[in-house]
Amino acid sequence: MSDAVLQVRELVKHYPVRRGLLRRSVAAVKAVDGVSLTLERGRTLGLVGESGSGKSTLARMLVGIEAPTSGQVLVDGEDVSRLSRAGRKQLRRDVQMVFQDPYTSLNPRMSVGEIVGEPFAIHGIDPAGGRRAAVGELLELVGLDPDHASRYPHQFSGGQRQRVGIARALALRPKVLVCDEPVSALDVSVQGQVINLLEDLQDELGLSYLFVAHDLGVVRHIAHDVAVMYLGRLVEQGPETDVYDTAQHPYTQALLSAVPVPDPAVRLAAGPSTGAPTAQPGLLGGIVLEGDPPSPVDPPSGCPFHTRCWLAPTLPEARADGDGRAVPEVCVTDVPALAPRGAAAAHAVACHFARELVATGVEA
Amino acid sequence: MSAPSQAAAPQPVAEETPLLEVTDLAVEFRTAEGTVRAVDGLSYRVEAGRTLAIVGESGSGKSVSSLAVMGLLPPTARVTRGSARLAGTDLLALRPRQHRAYCGERVAMVFQDALAALNPVHTVGYQLTEALRARRGLSRADARARAIELLDLVKVPNARARVKEYPHQFSGGMRQRVMIASALAMDPEVLIADEPTTALDVTVQAQVLQLLAEIQAERRMGLVLITHDLGVVAGVADDVTVMYAGRAVEQAPVGPLYAAPAHPYTRALLRSIPSTAGADRGTRRRLPVIPGRPPSPAARPSGCPFHPRCDVAQDLCRTEVPPLTGPAPARLSACHFAADVLANRPPETGGTHE
Repeated sequence: MSDAVLQVRELVKHYPVRRGLLRRSVAAVKAVDGVSLTLERGRTLGLVGESGSGKSTLARMLVGIEAPTSGQVLVDGEDVSRLSRAGRKQLRRDVQMVFQDPYTSLNPRMSVGEIVGEPFAIHGIDPAGGRRAAVGELLELVGLDPDHASRYPHQFSGGQRQRVGIARALALRPKVLVCDEPVSALDVSVQGQVINLLEDLQDELGLSYLFVAHDLGVVRHIAHDVAVMYLGRLVEQGPETDVYDTAQHPYTQALLSAVPVPDPAVRLAAGPSTGAPTAQPGLLGGIVLEGDPPSPVDPPSGCPFHTRCWLAPTLPEARADGDGRAVPEVCVTDVPALAPRGAAAAHAVACHFARELVATGVEA
Repeated sequence: MSAPSQAAAPQPVAEETPLLEVTDLAVEFRTAEGTVRAVDGLSYRVEAGRTLAIVGESGSGKSVSSLAVMGLLPPTARVTRGSARLAGTDLLALRPRQHRAYCGERVAMVFQDALAALNPVHTVGYQLTEALRARRGLSRADARARAIELLDLVKVPNARARVKEYPHQFSGGMRQRVMIASALAMDPEVLIADEPTTALDVTVQAQVLQLLAEIQAERRMGLVLITHDLGVVAGVADDVTVMYAGRAVEQAPVGPLYAAPAHPYTRALLRSIPSTAGADRGTRRRLPVIPGRPPSPAARPSGCPFHPRCDVAQDLCRTEVPPLTGPAPARLSACHFAADVLANRPPETGGTHE
């Protein structure tokens, strides 16, 4: 299956850090640092990572809100950067975005009908049957009452506003929806409704989703494939079952084990915590990482995760460096390539020691 | 967290005198649409070394009830009923000045948004010991030493240097540690933490929860954890109070609550969480959801406030407010059909409507 609707090749986004009177660029925030991805038609690719991992910047480049520093975005095989302005605008209709915060992403001074119909105006399109009818259909499609088109965003709840945002994104019949944390601002009982709506729309309209989220449970539910980002790079990528059930990268494993499981039996089975250093089995019986993700202005050399990696110090190759943390030299000097390590070719991981992980069978 | 203390010495559930006992608390807000009852008859107790989780969605009253206990309600709100006894003293009957003296000393609170809660123009060390200098008259040198101790306690690396830094120089996780340190400065008996890890990434959340658990076990502190995350609750709580529309709808020890919820709302919430374990694989194309949305405090439904969204609602539920009663030992549920829900069978009276 290689029907790629959206492809990203070696995408890079660096923001200059300027200092001094002449605003000279003294450094760069490496928000996205060489990411390649493929979104198959009719499928959902979940993109997970913590704050600062670059997942939102990546999403914004896909819809053209941010221009990449280098690299390519291909929609249906066509390189967006090579098109003329008109061609680009045409192509942009195919990739639309649903934003995180339904409270700030809708203009409070526009009625819901105007908001949902605005893409028609921007692109100069007169939908068959008129704009008003098209807006009514869109509202109905996302489960809202078409008669409420004259109301304003403040008259709707968070979940309903997110439906408005989805209706607006669907106006131009896109092929791809880029959803940036679309349910994280919603109450638990309302989250599920929006997730179900997105899944229904996918079945009905054959949409493809790039679903950016930090909630690993939500991503597992909705995504067919999953990519894990850390400090601007992909560290692991593959089909949902492979990444969740046989995670190979130590970061993915730590991330998964840090998710609180809604089952007290898991905690009780894990036994009392020893109060020992937090490097090993934690509160929920999982791996607790030390520290925060490093700054993307000055990411660590070699593998970006080596400064927090719980596995590296346990390897026989580990050598003490200046900071008193023993890690294998190769983790400090060489950036690990994202490549398949196990049996499944679709499951790629960027770790020099991924094989050892499979061998030791670390449970996430 | 209480796993260590539980393992060391199993404690009786309700026999011990509670550190903090809230009884029949009601809080009203004056709004443009009239008086709104945000909390309506909430009772709970917190014992030494135990963690009570208060779970609810937005508008359930979970945060307002804690602000009332702390005496931090905005001027538009007032406590209309109830008491909050801390070792026998009713905090809500105290004059504001006395209330403030109690809070901070003996009950302290950690807020969700550490960046907003910290003052950007003062060093972290200054803020950590502000209360100590004001209340205990510590000298500057002593205060600095104590601030370093506190940062060490919450495992902020390189405390000696960081005590001179400003909040913006700290990461989100480290700021939340500073908030916890400042709440612990006066050695409180009860700590109320309002969504302490909601703004944090999961790997950092795990660190902060672990830290809270260790500190609690060490000091046998009572911990009230306000959260919407049922995963966090399962991980750290001993007892759970589920709130809906200003009321406690279910109260139970954590194990039995997750094993067999006694209120349809709790049951529906637990079912609606997408799992990372892939347990919902079979049903993955449809996540079980609760229809509708939480009611606004200004327009609560008649009878049981959950009835419009409930999958087992009967005629009775539309008219009669269900009392919080016990369908089983150590269990409380505000549902007319709690025993049936607990046994996971359909309600026994009449036919189901909708």
